[in-house]
Amino acid sequence: MKNRWLAAYAAFAYLFLHVPLLVLTVFSFNASRFTHWEGFSLKWYAVLLEDHRLIEAALNSILIAVAATALATVIGTIAAYGIWKRSAPVLEGSLYTGLVTPEIVTGVSLLALFQGLFHYFNFRLGLHTVILAHVTFSIAYVVIVIQARLKTMDKSLEEAAMDLGATEFGAFRKVTLPVLMPGVIAAALLAFTISFDDYVITSLVSGVDTETLPMVIYTMARKGVSPAVNAMSALIVIGVGALIVAAEKLQQQHT
Amino acid sequence: MRRRTFFLSLSGLAGCTQNRAPRLNVYNWSDYIGTETLANFEKETGIRVHYGVFENNEEMLAKVFGGNSGWDIAFPSNYFIGPMRESRLLARIDRGQLKNLGNLDPMLAAPEWDPRLEHSVPYMWGATGIVFNKSAAGGLKSWADLWDEKHKGRMTMLDDPADAIGAALKKLGHSINSPDAAHLAAAQAELLRQKPLVRAYLNAEARNQLIAGDLQAAQLWGTTSQQAIDAAPHLGFAYPVEGYARYADNAVILRESRRLDLAHRFIDYLLRPDVAADIVKDSRTASANAAARALLPVQVRENPVLYPPPEVLMRAEWFAPLPPAAQRLRDRYWTEIKSA
Amino acid sequence: MNQLRTWFLAPARLLTFGFFLAPLAIVVLYSFLTRGTYGGQGAPFTLENYTRLADPLYLEILVKSFWIAILSTAICLVMGFPLALFIARSGPQWRGTWINLVMLPFWTNFLVRTYAWMFLLRDTGLINTAFQGLGLISQPLPLLYNDGAVILGLVYGYLPFMVLPIFSTLERQDPFLLEAAADLGATPWQTLWRVTVPMAKPGILAGSVLVFIPCLGAYLTPDLMGGGKSIMIGNVVQQQFTSSRDWPFGAALSLVLTALVMVLLWFIMRRGGKELI
Repeated sequence: MKNRWLAAYAAFAYLFLHVPLLVLTVFSFNASRFTHWEGFSLKWYAVLLEDHRLIEAALNSILIAVAATALATVIGTIAAYGIWKRSAPVLEGSLYTGLVTPEIVTGVSLLALFQGLFHYFNFRLGLHTVILAHVTFSIAYVVIVIQARLKTMDKSLEEAAMDLGATEFGAFRKVTLPVLMPGVIAAALLAFTISFDDYVITSLVSGVDTETLPMVIYTMARKGVSPAVNAMSALIVIGVGALIVAAEKLQQQHT
Repeated sequence: MRRRTFFLSLSGLAGCTQNRAPRLNVYNWSDYIGTETLANFEKETGIRVHYGVFENNEEMLAKVFGGNSGWDIAFPSNYFIGPMRESRLLARIDRGQLKNLGNLDPMLAAPEWDPRLEHSVPYMWGATGIVFNKSAAGGLKSWADLWDEKHKGRMTMLDDPADAIGAALKKLGHSINSPDAAHLAAAQAELLRQKPLVRAYLNAEARNQLIAGDLQAAQLWGTTSQQAIDAAPHLGFAYPVEGYARYADNAVILRESRRLDLAHRFIDYLLRPDVAADIVKDSRTASANAAARALLPVQVRENPVLYPPPEVLMRAEWFAPLPPAAQRLRDRYWTEIKSA
Repeated sequence: MNQLRTWFLAPARLLTFGFFLAPLAIVVLYSFLTRGTYGGQGAPFTLENYTRLADPLYLEILVKSFWIAILSTAICLVMGFPLALFIARSGPQWRGTWINLVMLPFWTNFLVRTYAWMFLLRDTGLINTAFQGLGLISQPLPLLYNDGAVILGLVYGYLPFMVLPIFSTLERQDPFLLEAAADLGATPWQTLWRVTVPMAKPGILAGSVLVFIPCLGAYLTPDLMGGGKSIMIGNVVQQQFTSSRDWPFGAALSLVLTALVMVLLWFIMRRGGKELI
């Protein structure tokens, strides 16, 4: 009985979350450039396919997000584990400060650091500086998610494994990591989302060749969203949705 | 010297993996070039162009400030030329390499921010005025009309301290660049009085709302207004009688550039009348190139929004950088207006 | 014994110290410098950037920002908790799908999502057009460009940050506990308040922090949904680093803001128990 109320509420909440998405998908098929409906058309998808700048930016964004997520998830997971073993107040404090610092300040300060370094070492802004920035700010999110998971872990489990002759690393890999896995996946998902959507920091530390999708969308959207941007968003949502469904199917087959 | 060698070897490395043709990195405002301009330049010269865009002067300046951004050419607004020159970011323009310099509009051939064009070459220009719905709002003529109760909730101002406070200064009969504390305080009072009527402080977003009919009137740049008028003929435009702000965007070569010859060739190419005319057609912005104007169709050439007639142009005033104390005062007033 | 831990912490330390703390030190330095004539910063050293903060104008904006961020966080909690509960109580084979459906809208760009809302809320937008078509209203409702729209934008933007941590604490809840409570005669409401909510406390705290912090620093949402008519402290910071080009003042402002939030966090963690860390 109570669960029925809960389900009704959930239906409402999902509606709230998805209405804007539906609207933009519907209007990506609008023949008109502007916001009144003029009939069904696929022309914005055709426009999209010819827009090399948009496609190149999308590829850049995916590359950056995948690299940053992989690195941040590994680094963040083992760091959370290390902190769980025995607290590391300076690192923890810095991670939380990172979360609290306004994005523009993080971006500006990194740019200042990079520009300072450029005077001594001849490297330039580019893909590497963007990935470095993304990994750094994603670690904090990963650590928080993993820590929440670790809190329910029993430390004696690992000790028991080590009493039975497992090495320290073996105990981590065989005992703790499997329990952490759902948290690791959630953390990776969060890191990917944040990296894929970041505009402020990215635009400051990106180089000549590293325009990302949010940067392109930002320049386009400030002039009033073009239906081509809507089409792009619809494609991303459908593409990522399909990817998630496929990944779940794969996981279910494995287990 | 050592840095230069390293740089050469680095670009050599990049050349191995990609096309060997020389490459020029150009950093411009978005929507500020013709659709075919770059492709034609590459075809003609064999020089590859990497083209990036920025949304405002501050973003561009933050990027190139370190002197190692990788960009060769940028397009700052006129009031950023001085600060960038003082910060030693600009290379000297070699006029001898610009055969087409004579095509510049006489009014921009010796501009006040760089009279001998030593560091910059004017590219495009524009101004701020009022765009309005002719049927719903009637004709607007002056900044004072934006203080009229009848537009309450149906009017927007630009989300920019220089433009919004500039309009109030003009309404009061002062210079758009007035550093006078009393003038600025009076302008702030005007804007505070106007705030209950303002629907929002918007920039380019106002365009779609004008077209859709959400708005009756808006303070807006001429270029953006013309795009709205193209889509919705019920809109009209005016450069206010009290006077208005004007700006020019200029091509500059950054000091960090190691490709000065290519950069000059590119700027000279942009100065060619046929090239500049194509850019005007696609960007709907007035060119600094007088020879190009003659090549434009008459409805563009004589368009009073893009190319206001001389008697209207007389009322315009160029934006200039403010002294630090006045700038700080203006920014604080602006914060106060927006938070009120 | 602790060698593994040292190795595990090393990469995070390297990155955080090298690419967060070191740049932050530069910002601290900036906050004591003077803005140059044309932007930039230099000598002399000064405390002026901090004394300028004593202005009641900035305090007023700060108070308002706190208020909007607290309200948005509270609404996220009220909306997010039942949703997380629903997902946690659905069958294990469905949980992944439900969670992904929460995340799905967030794969589109933040600006695109915000513009979609603006398109719904405008005078000539979908909601007003529909209501007028149905004859419910004659004049369009002013849905956009007010504080309500800002809060809506913030709630929409950060709801998943509330749902995910709450779900991850609820998901591990032992169903037998609920049965036991029911066997002991507890009503579903009592079970909810006495068993479920206390167990979800770490998730609720983590979620609230994850929502509150970005809400407090928000600047694009007040600009777009609020029409720039009521700015938050994030806008003031943004303005210093962009149009004002007063980096020293921006640095001082953001450092004070960061310190304030850190103190608040520390306080919450001490009061709210050790669950969060």
